[in-house]
Amino acid sequence: MSALPAREAVSAVATLSARELTHRYSPRRGLDPVSFDLAGPGVTAVTGPNGSGKSTLLRIVAGLLRPSGGSCVLACEGRELPARARRPAIGLAAPDLSFYEEFTVGENLSFAAEARGLDDPRGRVRESLERVGLLARAADRADALSSGMRQRLRLAFALLHQPPVLLLDEPGSHLDDDGRVMVARLVGEHAERGLVLIATNEEREKTLAGHAIQLRGRGVGDPA
Amino acid sequence: MPATRSSSAGAVWAILRKECRSEWRTRYGLNSALLFAVTTLTSISFVVGKIADRTDILAALLWIVLVFAALASLAHTFVREVEGHTMTMLRLVASPTAIALGKLGFNLLFLGVLEAVTVPLFLVLVGGPPLHWDRFLAVLGLGSVALAAAATLVGAVIAQTRGRGALFAAVSLPILLPVLAGAVSGTRGQWNGAPIGAELRLLGAYAAALLGASLILYDHLWEE
Amino acid sequence: MIWKVFLFAWIAAGMLAGFLWAPVVPVLGATTRVFYFHFPAALVTTLAFGWSMVHSALYLARRDLTHDDHAAGAADLGLLFCVVATISGSMWARAMWGAYWNWDPRETSVFFLLLIYAAYLALRAAIDGETRRARLAAIYSCVAFVTVPFLIFVVPRIYFSLHPDPLFGRRGKPDIDPRIMLVAAWMFAGFTALFFWLLSLRVRLGRVERCALKGMA
Repeated sequence: MSALPAREAVSAVATLSARELTHRYSPRRGLDPVSFDLAGPGVTAVTGPNGSGKSTLLRIVAGLLRPSGGSCVLACEGRELPARARRPAIGLAAPDLSFYEEFTVGENLSFAAEARGLDDPRGRVRESLERVGLLARAADRADALSSGMRQRLRLAFALLHQPPVLLLDEPGSHLDDDGRVMVARLVGEHAERGLVLIATNEEREKTLAGHAIQLRGRGVGDPA
Repeated sequence: MPATRSSSAGAVWAILRKECRSEWRTRYGLNSALLFAVTTLTSISFVVGKIADRTDILAALLWIVLVFAALASLAHTFVREVEGHTMTMLRLVASPTAIALGKLGFNLLFLGVLEAVTVPLFLVLVGGPPLHWDRFLAVLGLGSVALAAAATLVGAVIAQTRGRGALFAAVSLPILLPVLAGAVSGTRGQWNGAPIGAELRLLGAYAAALLGASLILYDHLWEE
Repeated sequence: MIWKVFLFAWIAAGMLAGFLWAPVVPVLGATTRVFYFHFPAALVTTLAFGWSMVHSALYLARRDLTHDDHAAGAADLGLLFCVVATISGSMWARAMWGAYWNWDPRETSVFFLLLIYAAYLALRAAIDGETRRARLAAIYSCVAFVTVPFLIFVVPRIYFSLHPDPLFGRRGKPDIDPRIMLVAAWMFAGFTALFFWLLSLRVRLGRVERCALKGMA
């Protein structure tokens, strides 16, 4: 396996805090109020029963969803990032993340790199694909991928711009054992320099984390 | 975070290129729009015959065909994203404004291609005196910008609703009425030799007002 | 309760005065009476439209769903008054000029307003989810707000030049009998009060529904 190229040192100070953060889709569905304080580098798991709002929480942190109540503050290198400015700092891999079926794997990631304004988009795409083991499939159309490959593509997408905060929603889903080892490696590498949040119910993934935020279905969640 | 160039203009350009490439790969939108325009024109020609002297009716017919062909096709840039579930990816790599401008640019190009086919075909099939090209192109250009701005914004709204084709037309029409009024009057005026300064000002001002309002409103469009 | 009765009495008194007390404008003859119905309805629908738009913008700025209740309620009621204004205006046009619809500038403006209301309400009906509906409808409302000045100033310029209307401006005559103006103003006050009363019911209903849903959760 090739050594990872040297890259500029990323300032590791990322903090994430929430106060009574909540979101309601309907009277019975949503995220119950939760509060926590996290500081990177490190790995935190977000756990809870189905429907407790794990994915919702990640979407709120990513700035994609405006919560119906409470606050969520993300700061990188001391600078607070409002929801609409979080894009460069966040890498999200979630089950509902889909790609353009008519484009190849490489084209999808190139588009992402160009839209993000990254230097050397081709190099970054290569690097990202290498890290998730998809380099051989770069020229395959996205609709030709198996579910495991799609999951790897999602991870490649999340890592493309080396974000200080990595949000992984069930990262091991659809992956074989090799894939899970890859996820563990990626999380470990990233946790040295940045903050990782893993939403999961899998025991294997929970053990990657230093501590956990537990969301309760019908009650108030509190940090472990 | 990795070094990035100023990414807003880059994002718009990347999105515009992506749309063009996507359209080229699937060719779904352009084909149906052209087919719609051709079918409508031939039907009109068949039913009405040649009416070379009635410039008022000709102007109205031309713009009705253009507007409805646009309504039949300009929403699909957003509908495709929503149905393909790629909005999440798009929102993670580009700001709402960049997304909107990229799509608007594409819709403008699309409209240009549509008009390049429709206008000559109209003159051949339905009739009309020779165009005063400079004046006509001014009306066509400004009218198209306003048309694209309105259709893109309304299309973005409609893509998130349950209704689609008919609702899009019904909801867009009030917004498009000033464009129709100005464009029809201007087209008739350039045939009759009447001054069209007022119509051009109307179209230009309306396009500017729509674009200005859009830039503020697009930030609120996608919050989930 | 007493205010409801008072309001109905007010409006009834206005209608009676319109038919029995105020004189008739010579040119218009007996059709003057429509004025007491048509003119206030047209003003109220414009007021409702403005109210709905302001609250749409406020919703986007503040995300308080009460603003959405106001916007939707005002649109519902505005549509109602708009239909009243359109129909009464159309009947008047038939009596005065022989045709139900002439596309004269005022008629056209009211018709456009009707289209915008209908589109807004159709849009609302097609969206699930309270906050999504509120947000998208508010965005549409703000776009419509951009459109309206153009429709009001475009219409006279484009259509007036096509269909010159000799009777245009007749309704704006300054030397109308003060009794007519009094009844018209009286009816306008009554209709406006009616609008705000119905709107308040709608807003309260919206708030109660939300509280009930929260309570059930």
